[in-house]
Amino acid sequence: MATNTQQAEQRELMMLQQYLKDYGQQAEIFVEQLNLLENARMEAMAAIEALEAMVVAEDNTVLLQIGGGASVRAKVLEPEKVLVAIGAEVVIERTNNEAVEFLKGRIMEMEASQKKVSETLDKLRAQMNEINKRLEFGYQQSMAGQQAEE
Amino acid sequence: MFGGLKERLQAARNRLSSSIGAVVATPVAEPVVPHLPPAAGTTEPEKTAAPGFVEKVKVLVLERELIVSDKNIAEALSELEMTLLESDVALPVTDAIIISVRKNLVGRHRKIGESVDAMVVSALKSALLEVLGKGFDLKEYINTHPRPVKILFTGVNGTGKTTSVAKIGSYLHKQGFSVVIGAGDTYRAGAIEQIAVHAERIGIKVIQHQEGADPSAVLFDTVQYAISHKIDVVLADTAGRFHTKSNLMNQLDKIKRVMKPDLVIYVDEAVAGNDAVIRAAEFDRTVGADAIVLTKADMDSRGGAAISIAHTIGKPLMFLGVGQSYDDIIPFDPAGVVDELLDGA
Repeated sequence: MATNTQQAEQRELMMLQQYLKDYGQQAEIFVEQLNLLENARMEAMAAIEALEAMVVAEDNTVLLQIGGGASVRAKVLEPEKVLVAIGAEVVIERTNNEAVEFLKGRIMEMEASQKKVSETLDKLRAQMNEINKRLEFGYQQSMAGQQAEE
Repeated sequence: MFGGLKERLQAARNRLSSSIGAVVATPVAEPVVPHLPPAAGTTEPEKTAAPGFVEKVKVLVLERELIVSDKNIAEALSELEMTLLESDVALPVTDAIIISVRKNLVGRHRKIGESVDAMVVSALKSALLEVLGKGFDLKEYINTHPRPVKILFTGVNGTGKTTSVAKIGSYLHKQGFSVVIGAGDTYRAGAIEQIAVHAERIGIKVIQHQEGADPSAVLFDTVQYAISHKIDVVLADTAGRFHTKSNLMNQLDKIKRVMKPDLVIYVDEAVAGNDAVIRAAEFDRTVGADAIVLTKADMDSRGGAAISIAHTIGKPLMFLGVGQSYDDIIPFDPAGVVDELLDGA
C-alpha cells in the first residue's frame, strides 16, 4: 500500500505532467500564430514584388495565378492605381508607390510581432524544459524509492 | 502594449500641432457678403458657429489670440483618420474620434505663445476617452450585488478563455473575495484538467464533472456549492464556440437558463483586431454580453480592438490579458490606456 509521501509524490508528478501539457498547448497556439504571421509576411512581400514588376512590365502584362499551379497572362488596366485594405475592413485607392510603402510598413510591423511571439515562445519552452527536468528527477526518485522497498 | 498605435498617434499628434502652429498671424480675408434685410415673412437665419473675419481680427488684435479653423486642421485630421484605420480601429469609431477632435479644436481661441501640443493632446485624450467608455469595475460590482455573483465566460475557441478565468480568479482571490470555478468546458479534451490545475495553483475550489458531461449541470452544481458555502463569486468556464454553431449556442442558452448568470463576459484576443470586434458584436446579438475581456493585448501592436470594442458594441472592456502569469491581467482603465498611448502627455 502506498504511503502518504508516495501519494504526495505521485500527485506532484501528475500535476507537473498537467503543467507540461498546458504549456505544450499554449506553445502550439503561439507556433500557429507565428506561422500565420510568416504566411502574411510572405504574401505581403510577394505583393510588393508584383506591384513593382507591374509598372515595368511591357504592355502592363503580368502572369496571374489562378490556382492549381495554372497561370494566365493578364493585362493590368491601371497599374498605378492599387486598392489596398488598410485595416478595419476599409479599402482605399493608393498609387503604386504608396501601396508598396504601406506594405513595407506592414511587413515591419509583422516582423516586430513575430519577434514578440518568438520571445514568449522561448520563455514557454524554457519553462517546459524546467518542468521536464523536475519530472525526470521525480521519476528517478520514485524508481529509487521502489527499488529500496524491494 | 499597442506600440504601433502609440507611434502612429504620436506622429498624428505632431502633425496636428504643426498644422495649428502654422496658423498665420493675420487671418485670411473672407468675401464680404452685403447684409440685406430679411424678406418679408422670413426670419433672419441663425448665425453659424464659425467665426467670421471681423471676429478673428478682433480676437487677434484685442486679445492676442488666434482661432483654429476647420481648414487649418483638415489635412492633419485626414491623416489621423488614416492612422486610426491602419491601426484597425473600426470605421464608426474612427469617425467618432475625428468628429470629437474637430469639435474640440475648431473655433478654439489660442493665446499667442500658448502650447499647441497641450491643446492637441487634450483634444485627442477627450476623443479617445469618449470612445473607450468608462471600463467596468468588477470589484465594485461584486461589492454592490448579492452574493454569489455568477459570472459566465463565453467566446470563440482558442482565445484564452480558460486561462482568463484562472487569472480573474487569482485577481479576485487576491482582492479578498472567495471564489469557486465551474469547469463548464466539458467538450475540449483536457480542459477540465487544465482548469483544475490552474485552480489548485491559485488555491481556488473547482467543481468538475466527467468529460462530455452536461455543462449546465456542472455550473448548476457550482452555483449550489457557492450558495451553501457562502462563496462571493462563481466563475463559470465554458467551451469555445462560434455564434454560427446553433447546437452550441442552444447549449449556451440552456446554461444561462440554469445558472442565471449576473454577468456574461465575452473573451477574445486583442491580436484579432477588427475580427474580434465583429465577433463580439455577433455574440452580443445572439447570447448577450455585459462586458469584454481582451487577451494577448501585450502582443497587439495596433490596439484597434481595444479602442473599438466598447464603442462598437456598447459594452465596457473589463480586463486586458497582458502575459503568461496569473498576475498578467489588468483591469481596463481608460484614462491609463490613453495616458500610455499619448505618453508623456
